[in-house]
Amino acid sequence: MGLDAPTGSLQTTDETVAEPESTTETRAGTEPESIALEARDLDVYYGDDQALQSIDMEIPEGEVTALIGPSGCGKSTFLRCINRMNDLIDIARVDGDLHFNGKNVYDDDVDPVALRRKIGMVFQKPNPFPKSIRDNVAFGLRVQGRDENVDAKVEQALERAALLEEVEDQLDSSGLDLSGGQQQRLCIARAIAPDPEVLLMDEPASALDPIATAKIEELIEELSEEYTVVVVTHNMQQAARISDKTAVFLTGGELVEFDDTEKIFENPEHDRVEDYITGKFG
Amino acid sequence: MPRDEYQRQLRRLREGVLEMSDRVCERLEQALAALETQDENLATAVITGDHAINERYLELEQACIELVALQQPVASDLRVVAASFKIITDLERIADLAVNLAEYARRAERRRYADVDIGYIGERVVEMVEAAMAAYADDDAVGARDVAAEDDEIDRRCESASEFVVRDLLETELEAEIGLTPDALSDEVSRMLLTIRDLERVGDHAVNIAARTLYMVENDDELIY
Repeated sequence: MGLDAPTGSLQTTDETVAEPESTTETRAGTEPESIALEARDLDVYYGDDQALQSIDMEIPEGEVTALIGPSGCGKSTFLRCINRMNDLIDIARVDGDLHFNGKNVYDDDVDPVALRRKIGMVFQKPNPFPKSIRDNVAFGLRVQGRDENVDAKVEQALERAALLEEVEDQLDSSGLDLSGGQQQRLCIARAIAPDPEVLLMDEPASALDPIATAKIEELIEELSEEYTVVVVTHNMQQAARISDKTAVFLTGGELVEFDDTEKIFENPEHDRVEDYITGKFG
Repeated sequence: MPRDEYQRQLRRLREGVLEMSDRVCERLEQALAALETQDENLATAVITGDHAINERYLELEQACIELVALQQPVASDLRVVAASFKIITDLERIADLAVNLAEYARRAERRRYADVDIGYIGERVVEMVEAAMAAYADDDAVGARDVAAEDDEIDRRCESASEFVVRDLLETELEAEIGLTPDALSDEVSRMLLTIRDLERVGDHAVNIAARTLYMVENDDELIY
């Protein structure tokens, strides 16, 4: 290994906030599970349009949480709230709290750049930089001034992203020369090289063929051993295959149901969720 | 409504299972009638008709597999497919038990144990299968639980009937008393015990159908175990 272990704290502009002991009981009531992220009464507006309504959700640590729902339901908006990517949209406004390690990420003293070091993101379309494979993966480390042992860290990130074996002889080739599936795994390696605690994935396999998709899905399961993974997907079977928890957002930005994935896909509580996942609407 | 073809396939599956159960109950009633009346032609019809039940079973099994492979049902739809898949197996086995009963009817006359009320037990288990299938058709959890409750009474009657036959055997002084050779008595006793056992098993399959129906309707597995 050799990468720094997650510190469990969030660097703010002027202080380091200690990690609180936030836990909750599992549905089975057996072992308590740690909470990585907690939304409390979270509203998001784009201008006058409300995109998310009073979202309350506790995302467990070290598990895969899938966000599903029809187009326009707010699932990607919620994902982008987690590491404040919505800050980049002028008309976006966020009310309510989103806690990461016990600290509201929307507090004035939180530095979004520092936040994104802890909460990495992978997008729908692979977006490697027009640089070498090595420089793509090292990018985040160098931005953070973590220049020591970069080559070893690059290789470790590529290995964790299940890409090293395929590219170890061409680390100085352009990342753009890789196939679509390899490019996406390169982006995952780039996201995990700085050793975040949380990985956000916005439809990470929707642009890939079935074999590349299968590799990404397998990788997501492996990554959840070290990271908390939150993934938006339009593919319900994919959500069922890869996630531990599933959140169902429905039109109007409402989180209708959030539970163990088995429960959602075998016997959801809400008729609207049942109708959505069985294809009776949407 | 989106996925119309998928919804049609689900409806066709349920209709197919109900149609198969109608045929199976009909076969079971014919086998019981053959036992009662020693109607060899009717018994033969039950035996030869089993092939059609097996074919229908395989068609419905394939329909379930195709729904899973091609439509990826979830939630209540998945439970319908899973329950149907199990229920057709129970129905096919009930049809096999009807064949057994028909074969007992063909083999010999019931003389000594005419008082054992096979007819009544038979009617009750047919009613149980019909009630379980009605619960399946109507998504009726209460009806499914009622079928399971009924089975205790069937078990008691079957046990009591078996005891009667065995006790009679133990107390019989064979040829001199009843005019039956040991072979004939042994054959009649074994036939009676097998008949009782098979009827009791039909009741068990009815409970299985009710259990899968309860799972289908309420995601409740209390009757499965």
